[in-house]
Amino acid sequence: MTNMEQDTIITTRNLSRTYTLGTMKVPALNHVTLDIRRGEFAAIMGKSGSGKSTLLHQLGLLDTPTEGKITIDGAEISGLSESEQTIFRLEKFGYVFQEYAILPELTALENVYLPAMALGLSQDECVTKGMDALEMVGLAERADHRPKEMSGGEQQRVAIARALINKPKILFADEPTANLDSVSSRQILELFRKLNQDMGQTILMVTHELEDVDLVDRVIWLADGEVV
Amino acid sequence: MTSITTELKVSAFLAYKSIAKGNKGTSALTILIMALAFVNLMFMASLFTGLTDASEDQVIETLYSNIVIEPKDEETYIKSPDSVMKKVGSVPGVLGISAQYLTASTIAHKEKSGAWTVRSVDPDDEITVSSVPKMMIAGECLSKYDRDEIVIGKEIAGGHGGSLEHLSLGGVVVGDTVEVAFKNGVRREYRIKGIFDTNFIQSNQLAYITEKEMESVLGTTDMTSQILVKTDGKGGEDKYVEQFTMLGVHEDIKTWTVYAGIVATITQSFTAINTLISVIGLFVAGITIFIVIYVSTVSKRRQIGILRAIGIKESIIIRSYVFQAVFYAICGCITGLLVMFMILVPYYTRHPLVFPMGDVTLVIEQKNAIARGVALVAAALVAGFIPSWQAVRETILDAIWGD
Repeated sequence: MTNMEQDTIITTRNLSRTYTLGTMKVPALNHVTLDIRRGEFAAIMGKSGSGKSTLLHQLGLLDTPTEGKITIDGAEISGLSESEQTIFRLEKFGYVFQEYAILPELTALENVYLPAMALGLSQDECVTKGMDALEMVGLAERADHRPKEMSGGEQQRVAIARALINKPKILFADEPTANLDSVSSRQILELFRKLNQDMGQTILMVTHELEDVDLVDRVIWLADGEVV
Repeated sequence: MTSITTELKVSAFLAYKSIAKGNKGTSALTILIMALAFVNLMFMASLFTGLTDASEDQVIETLYSNIVIEPKDEETYIKSPDSVMKKVGSVPGVLGISAQYLTASTIAHKEKSGAWTVRSVDPDDEITVSSVPKMMIAGECLSKYDRDEIVIGKEIAGGHGGSLEHLSLGGVVVGDTVEVAFKNGVRREYRIKGIFDTNFIQSNQLAYITEKEMESVLGTTDMTSQILVKTDGKGGEDKYVEQFTMLGVHEDIKTWTVYAGIVATITQSFTAINTLISVIGLFVAGITIFIVIYVSTVSKRRQIGILRAIGIKESIIIRSYVFQAVFYAICGCITGLLVMFMILVPYYTRHPLVFPMGDVTLVIEQKNAIARGVALVAAALVAGFIPSWQAVRETILDAIWGD
């Protein structure tokens, strides 16, 4: 393996995704070939319907490509079964969605340590790691609060803490600031930047905000399902 | 790779949080419905057990006692019954023995008449094996040396609201005279000394005269049709039968169960009805759980998608819903048992249901309670599994962002 290959955490070759709507085939991604370096903070941008989220879903193993190859952290993932993909996501990925995707019945801390619990950590380890993650996003004092007692920005930060708890290789973020006010949006993006710079966290983020370009290392522009 | 223990722990955690922090009203209503389903299952079973018990007790207390010694097949009477009674009486646990003559007869009063069985007894012995002497509703029971007196059941007397009123003597009372035509052609007149009501239609169709009187009617002594034996408790009669045989009792020895054809018929019919009602009850409970879990999975569709996206295995999610279903079922069973033991059983003990075989109360058998509890939990397992399994069949993207 070359140094270049070691530095690459995501590789796609001729990645395509076509949706079937009745009898109609709708291509969402067309032979996308790209590499994401380890420790890179990359933004996927493009117009609405350009295939940004579709690409993120393929790379995040939330959907199955119609064609092409994806290699993540040296592993060819097209051969993984559904349950192997689940484990892969749990161990190697962190996700932040556009909506505040945390469970309403759980406190902030419980939401954060749920993936650690699923990985088999003890209750004490879960609490310790959960509190560390909440500390990292500046919400340690809100650990016992439930989502309905928190603002949108706080809920999104809880989701980020949850995404980080298992020390993921890649953090996927799908328009994480779309539902937030400008102050909260800035806080989230600065947090991403900090995680990337201080911890070398690889981050792949879908965004449509042009001002986000200043914070990322690279922008992958998509148009009509192709990298441009 | 996560272990099964870890998976169970996460499933239990999610289920607990969903119940504890979810809608309390929904949980309470679900548990209430489960409790009603369990009470429905238990009530019928307990009623049928009560009916069976009441019928068996009536057969023992008012008809055949625990053990019946009869003549061998080729004989009509037991000869030298005293010798048999002495042997039987020597066995520890035997509480009473009574020899009886049985004969078919026609009893008439004025223009009314009917065919009934007349039993003759030694009243002092009879009271040790039968409750009939204690169930007089008019007059008195027989005394050892009564000769021209008869005691009859309320179905013979009539006028006491019996089920066979149309076949009765039309309302004879204590002091009236009836004419009895015995099978051997002898006719005698007797004064009615007492009328009894056992609450059991079969024993209420019997008439009793004394042993001495029957001997004069039949012209025989030292012979009897059957010997009834009262033993300690119900259910252990077979060991007494063995001991009687070992002591040299060569007559035909039978336990009360042989005569309890009516009980067996009732039990078989009730078992069939009970099974049908139980199956319907389980379906209702299962469908209720199914709907509750289905609604929950539909309302949490996106949440399920997110859990799957962050790496929570499908089996963990399914199990968390199954745990919730089982929790509701177990709570329903416990609540149902409390309702049974604290409300229904005490109520029906104070206000028994009246059946032709006697007063019936609810009798809860442990095996019945366990079987129905297990069945309800099993129904909940299936009903919890199906909708949650369906929910995780959806693709993650459809679950999170679908319509």
